[in-house]
Amino acid sequence: MQNFDIILTILKPLLIFGLLFQILPLLVLAERRGAAIIQDRPGPNRAYIAIPGLNLKLRGFGMIFNLTDAVKLLFKESFTAPFAHKWWYILAPAIPVVTAILTPAVLPWFAPIVHKPDGGALQVVSGQIFDANVGLLLLFAIGSLSVYGVVLGSWASNSKYSLLGGLRASAMMISYEVSMGLSVLGLILLVGDFSLTRIVEWQTTHAWGILVQPIGFFLFLTSMFAECNRNPFDVAEGESELVAGFHTEFASSKFMLFMTAEYLHVLLASVLISTLYLGGYSLAPFPLPNPFGAQGVEWVVLDTAWIQAHLGLVGGIMLIIGGGVLLLLSHLVSVHKRAYAATTATDKADRVKEFSLFSGAFMFLAFLSVAGGAFAIACGAPTPLSGVIHEAKPVYPLWVGIVTAVIQLHIVLGKTLAVAWLFIWVRWTLPRFRYDQIMALGWKIMINIALVNLLVTALIAKLIK
Amino acid sequence: MAKIVPRPNLSFWEQVYFVEIFKGLVTTMGHAIRNITGQTKFPTVSYPEVQYDLPRDYRARHRLMKRPDGSPRCVACFMCSTACPARCINIVAEEAPDKHIEKRPVRFEIDLLLCVFCGYCVEACPCDAIRMDTKQAVMAGDNRADFVVNKESLMEWKPTDYPADDTQSQKAPGGSLHAQALDEFKSGTYH
Repeated sequence: MQNFDIILTILKPLLIFGLLFQILPLLVLAERRGAAIIQDRPGPNRAYIAIPGLNLKLRGFGMIFNLTDAVKLLFKESFTAPFAHKWWYILAPAIPVVTAILTPAVLPWFAPIVHKPDGGALQVVSGQIFDANVGLLLLFAIGSLSVYGVVLGSWASNSKYSLLGGLRASAMMISYEVSMGLSVLGLILLVGDFSLTRIVEWQTTHAWGILVQPIGFFLFLTSMFAECNRNPFDVAEGESELVAGFHTEFASSKFMLFMTAEYLHVLLASVLISTLYLGGYSLAPFPLPNPFGAQGVEWVVLDTAWIQAHLGLVGGIMLIIGGGVLLLLSHLVSVHKRAYAATTATDKADRVKEFSLFSGAFMFLAFLSVAGGAFAIACGAPTPLSGVIHEAKPVYPLWVGIVTAVIQLHIVLGKTLAVAWLFIWVRWTLPRFRYDQIMALGWKIMINIALVNLLVTALIAKLIK
Repeated sequence: MAKIVPRPNLSFWEQVYFVEIFKGLVTTMGHAIRNITGQTKFPTVSYPEVQYDLPRDYRARHRLMKRPDGSPRCVACFMCSTACPARCINIVAEEAPDKHIEKRPVRFEIDLLLCVFCGYCVEACPCDAIRMDTKQAVMAGDNRADFVVNKESLMEWKPTDYPADDTQSQKAPGGSLHAQALDEFKSGTYH
């Protein structure tokens, strides 16, 4: 395909944004359901769509609530407080969303696809939407702009609760940007590059960031919690003191934009953490030893070339793992079905019917997934194009590159969802810090630890090199 | 005099805080896993569909007991309305066809909005004609008149909703064991 790079350049933003906005409702559901299962509650189960022909009430485990939220927030009166500065008030909610949408442009979602069109030259299509050498710096630069949305929103609201929330948010986010930058510098020092693709490649050939920079990882994680305004750092919207903080005066679609931005930030922080410290799209945390090599023990690097050489095996195992997860889901649904059938609920028939439907659907999908995995393993490895070498690695046909990209995208997404669960998990575990405690932690403790970590990393890096 | 609250004496690992965060995370994850695998019974219920089973002696909405022929067991003695601190019971009496019973209610109305559900009427009743064991704790209506329940409404209950081995009910006037209880009472063996 001659124009593959142009097509993919157009497709990539659409694909990534589409993907992010598909995961967003899942994240909101995970937040609600996660809160419920941690706090011993049944969780969201009221909203449903009645399907007339089948006599079925579809609840989707609370997924319908996203729909009702959207309908409610879009159709509510878009009220502008009479005392607000109107222009900034309308502009403010857009800023966090815009910055959050710009951020994934520099994140690597898969390794560069190398392919050779018939009779053409080699093409290398980057896994980032915008392949910048200063990727990480650009990301921090865009990310730090999102504080303007909070500050502008709070200032334009012309309300004291909002103003206090905005002041807290701006002070906190600016403080924690220092420790965030310092904590990630250790990793940059080891890699020697700001490009996120290079950082992931370095982690593939050496070791994941969490193994070489464990202290840096914890500092970065904590800073990210603060940057996202999440618990235990959500003083910007501390309900107990400030009503709702910076978005007290916002309603309807403006509030929805703030809400969207919050969850987008959580999602993108998860992608960033998994890219920087959990190896991004790389498979194994470090090169695995192979004791049966030709010259004794060989260290096998599970990079893109290895995935392509074992494409059937890797894809098959991932499909089978996915099938196992679906099977587990099916089992859990049927456990809850039996539990609900044992109660004296008046809507028992409806709920049991829906549980059976979902259990069966998950079972069917699990079967498809496992069958596909077995088929992929049976297909085995593809053959590379003869005589075409790129950076000492064989070049495969285009479909192999695309399948590899899809596999790597799923690896990134798996890690991202795990980190996103960590965000939710921490939110429902820790109480909110007091504001002065947050400042003390940020300036007196975290920056010092980050500086010492940077110094020690620099010394060790110098000694080893 | 000011009360001095001493600072808690934290150990080193508690001051580091990371260990305590990890402990908290383990606790919440334990709850999450136990709940998602259906091992715990929630302290909450999905209210309108599932309702807590109230104990039988919970003082709920009243009911009037019946004789075998379906007429109310009430003899219109006004003991309940006299005992009522809220004065929510309104009885209109008439002469009963049975000479042994003397009186019966034409109207027996309870204003549930006035009622304080104290149970004094049940205590006061000499012939076990009024009870508060219906387990109906939630009552709804569109207007105030809906809450004034009449004799017919108070006698609308299904015998299958109540325990079959209720001997006290059977021994009360109108119950199937009443004659036997009277004999026992005359011979002095009544307990």
